[in-house]
Amino acid sequence: MLAFIKRHEGLWLFTRSPFVMLAAIVAVAIILGAVFAPWIALVNPYDLASFSLMDGLLPPVWEEFGNEKFLLGTDDQGRDMISSILYGARLSLIIGISAMTIATFLGVGLGLVAGYFGGRFDAVIMRIADIQLALPAILTALLIDGIARGILPPDMQQNLRVTVLIVAIALSLWVNFARTARASTFVQMNKEYVQAAVMQGQHPLRVMFVHILPNILGPLLVIMTVDLASAILLEATLSFLGIGLPADSPSLGTLIRIGMQFLLSGEWWILWIPTLFLVALVVSINVLGDFLRDVFNPRLR
Amino acid sequence: MRSTIGKSLLLGGALSLTALSAQAEAFKWASTTDPQTMDPHAVNSAPVLSFLNNIYEGLVRRGRDMSIEPSLATSWEPLGGENGWRFNLRQGVTFQDGSAFTAEDVMFSYERASNEAADVRSWFAPVTQVRVVDEFTIDFVTSAPNPLFPSSIANFMILDKDWATSNDAALPARDAENFATLNVNGTGPFTVATRDPGVKTVLAPHAGWWDEAAHNVTEATFTPIGNAATGLAALLSGEIDFIQPIPLQDVAQVESRDGFKVLEGEETRVIMFGFGHEHDKLLYSSDVTDVNPFTDPRVRLAAAHAIDMASIDRVLFRGKIEAASQLVPAGISGYSEANSDRPEFDPAKAKALLAEAGYPDGFSFGLKCTNDRYINDEALCRAAASMFAAVGLKAELSTGPVRDYWPQLREDDFDMYLLGWSPGTFDMEHPIRFLMHSQDDERKLGSWNFGNYSNARVDELLPMIQQEIDPEARQALVDEVVSITQDEVAYIPLYTQPLIWAAKDNIDLTQRADNFFMLRWVTVN
Amino acid sequence: MAYFIAKRLVQSVFVMLAVAFLAFSLFRFVGDPITQMTGVETSVADQERLREELGLNDSFALQFARFTGDMLKGDFGFSYRTRQPVAEMIATRIPATLELGVVALLISLFVGIPAGVYTALRPRGFATQAILMATLVGVSIPTFVIGIMLIFFFGVQLGWLPTFGRGGTVKLGGWETSFLTVDGWRALILPAFTLGVYQLTLTMRLVRAEMMEVMRSDYIRFATARGVPMRRLYFRHALANTMVPVITIIGLQFGGVIAFSIVTESVFQWPGMGLLFLESIRFVDIPVMGVYLVVIAFFFVVVNLIVDLLYVAIDPRLRIRDVS
Repeated sequence: MLAFIKRHEGLWLFTRSPFVMLAAIVAVAIILGAVFAPWIALVNPYDLASFSLMDGLLPPVWEEFGNEKFLLGTDDQGRDMISSILYGARLSLIIGISAMTIATFLGVGLGLVAGYFGGRFDAVIMRIADIQLALPAILTALLIDGIARGILPPDMQQNLRVTVLIVAIALSLWVNFARTARASTFVQMNKEYVQAAVMQGQHPLRVMFVHILPNILGPLLVIMTVDLASAILLEATLSFLGIGLPADSPSLGTLIRIGMQFLLSGEWWILWIPTLFLVALVVSINVLGDFLRDVFNPRLR
Repeated sequence: MRSTIGKSLLLGGALSLTALSAQAEAFKWASTTDPQTMDPHAVNSAPVLSFLNNIYEGLVRRGRDMSIEPSLATSWEPLGGENGWRFNLRQGVTFQDGSAFTAEDVMFSYERASNEAADVRSWFAPVTQVRVVDEFTIDFVTSAPNPLFPSSIANFMILDKDWATSNDAALPARDAENFATLNVNGTGPFTVATRDPGVKTVLAPHAGWWDEAAHNVTEATFTPIGNAATGLAALLSGEIDFIQPIPLQDVAQVESRDGFKVLEGEETRVIMFGFGHEHDKLLYSSDVTDVNPFTDPRVRLAAAHAIDMASIDRVLFRGKIEAASQLVPAGISGYSEANSDRPEFDPAKAKALLAEAGYPDGFSFGLKCTNDRYINDEALCRAAASMFAAVGLKAELSTGPVRDYWPQLREDDFDMYLLGWSPGTFDMEHPIRFLMHSQDDERKLGSWNFGNYSNARVDELLPMIQQEIDPEARQALVDEVVSITQDEVAYIPLYTQPLIWAAKDNIDLTQRADNFFMLRWVTVN
Repeated sequence: MAYFIAKRLVQSVFVMLAVAFLAFSLFRFVGDPITQMTGVETSVADQERLREELGLNDSFALQFARFTGDMLKGDFGFSYRTRQPVAEMIATRIPATLELGVVALLISLFVGIPAGVYTALRPRGFATQAILMATLVGVSIPTFVIGIMLIFFFGVQLGWLPTFGRGGTVKLGGWETSFLTVDGWRALILPAFTLGVYQLTLTMRLVRAEMMEVMRSDYIRFATARGVPMRRLYFRHALANTMVPVITIIGLQFGGVIAFSIVTESVFQWPGMGLLFLESIRFVDIPVMGVYLVVIAFFFVVVNLIVDLLYVAIDPRLRIRDVS
């Protein structure tokens, strides 16, 4: 019943707020573009034979020397910017969503256990969280990246770059989920219906998933959105520091890193178009996150 | 947009001019890397040697055009009756602490630089004995005739014996720092006033320098700036007077702004692709896994014909590179005029060659490249991979920072790889010794010949080249090596790396082909 | 109280050890220091000799034991690259990073708290919507892009502010400070702002949320009804009540600020620990990297401890719960 009202109210709020609608449209458009990239992109940036250096550094179509074939121009390799961005957004979203999903499962699982059982479990899990926090996201990612490079054979490293990055980002994000889940669990544990369920001898897993989890979904959903945005930005930052993805399979972050070289040279589109896309995507996700926060926490409106 | 940039720049220019007139001859410059030590014998790396050449001097030095000229030695001649060279030393030279320079200091510096703890000891591999003849004469005896020896020690810098020994710096520091890591006492035109490693180093002129100063710098401040965009911004905002290098793609913008100029030249570094000549199968192929097609010279030639140097030059390097036919650029001694053609861009021929070798549909292989070592290295490899793909050579590109790169190459972990080579002695013998001679750990030959290209005749020619005194006979031997390695496509030489510096208009300086920046040629107007 | 502190200290030591172990395991995998330490002409045999001398051929366990043992003895070792003592290298870089971090944090507080209060009190105003939108965009642009944009606008185009380094610094004992010269302050502005943007947004949102929460609480309603002046109500009662969570978050963020300064320092060539760390990665300077990670962890642990103590001081109920 409560959920229904929330959903209903949320829908109503949604239609009332042009910003949120715009954000939703932008996010959906970019996500659709990313999902269907292989079908709508002009060239496949991973297929080296599909583009040519001869087409390099063409400006967008509205500038002098623009070429109708490449609406937003080409980069220094002759790759169509639109295609690169679509594939880049695809990779960024894959990394962001996977990292966020892993972080959610890991964090919520550990948080529930810590909150439910308390005592030793709680202490150990929260100390691990402390260690995790002592190594900020960038350093965690560096660490995971370094370790993976050390233990995996070189030919696997290439194929596993994306996986390694996902794990690195996920590990730097799980603490938020764990803390929130733990705190909410503490609160729920004191509620009478949960106490009653425990008294009846229900299995802890059942108590956690049936009684506690549904009640903390709201805050978790908010963290998930915010963390999806963080994950995408973190990937971009790691790429800027040169420890993200290689240039031949570029994410949005890698595209920006490459574009950075052209900041002053006059080929503005190579930097600013992917940057604009990244910012639009992240802003949209953050706006939606804000919106969700308002929906789940009506007092803040 | 462009006009506003111009206007605001005029404003910036005016501001910086006023700032300049306040301290007429102070000079500030930046480069990407900080010299990691002030000890001239501890590390054999370009940032260190380049920087310290302003402070220390060798027996000989290089002029503006790279020619060898007298420095602490006024003249040198071959020894009579044995192999080696006699150096007659300059008299009346003092170190920056005021003590006199004598043959004992050269002897001491030789012992120090050839010690196991010194990274530069390889320069003295041919030396068997050093003798002090008198206070201002010293003999270097070599195991075989060595016409190149004097020019090979241009970066062998002389320390004061008393200063080094009394400060516990008799040997270069290997594990811990010592006095010479942070302090200097050379005979050169500048000395270190303050040093904050990795942050800032201030140099002051050496008043008692023996040579006449061609510069008018009263104080020089060096700042390492790792990020290229930040460095260029520092120049354009007037905070520094000079930067080396700047990114190629920014040349046009810097040139178009008032008050700044770009210095362009050719470095001596040739960029090339190498092959795993010795591998019996490809490591990174998804289709040909039982053999290594690159052992067939036709396949290597096909790869060479697939490269479109003109497009690489135009798009990636903005028309600033010189295509290379061999492992040294024209102008370096030993450059083979007779072999100055490179395989032309001809995809049809490349495909035909592949078909002839039994790979009509091509094959896939692994290409290893650096992404932080050479100018546009990663972009170059991506472009090359795309060009290879066009003829059926499907390159699985893998790029990484140079810190992981050399170990991978040493472990034979590649099918094809990128390499840049700058001839340390500015002679063709250098790449022949390091890149073309078969690997021979004991005699320290072929140590950077990762793919172990091996040709008995080349191996035979190297000692002959090293010992030949007659220039024409020597050139004939070099020509033969170049011709053999071209026929066999031992490497695919691509181009000579460009050298691009930028400065304010009021700075006069000399750009030397080894990318060394010499403060003694700087004038601030 | 004593028990609480003792327990916290033990936990902190445990956290430090764990970080040291993680930091150390990283060393093995970042690349080969030897090829970075030697020139191209150095023979393979000479390289192998150096590797042996540095103990790089020893087992992992032995190297870790040596690393931790030396560190406990206060011996932080020597940099592979510059041969300087690592402790000294890091110590000379600490002031730059701390000053940058503190100023960034102050910016985030002095802008973030008033903005948070304002947007909480006037939730429907146009200015509030604009501020919220601006911070949303601010937090969505990668830090390095913000830094580069600032450099080119204020440094290159307008020529107002320096684009790299610390400008004029003054040595106070062993502490090199930017705070005492005009040049020093000018050089601080852009990097501190770049680093502070993210924090600013967090602070603002947090203050806003807490403030809105408190304003709805019964006692504020009661005070309003009693006729307490609005200004006094906002700042004396409401804001004071939001400070506990705000202090916590700011404390926790400080470790993050110090670590995230890696990116800012790289963009502005700011000579702090982060820049040193990045250079060390590039040259595989293992001892410097390890000590940096341990120092960062130490900062974090200390800040965490202080936050916990403050927490207890502000809200005594926590004392009881924690002890039980």
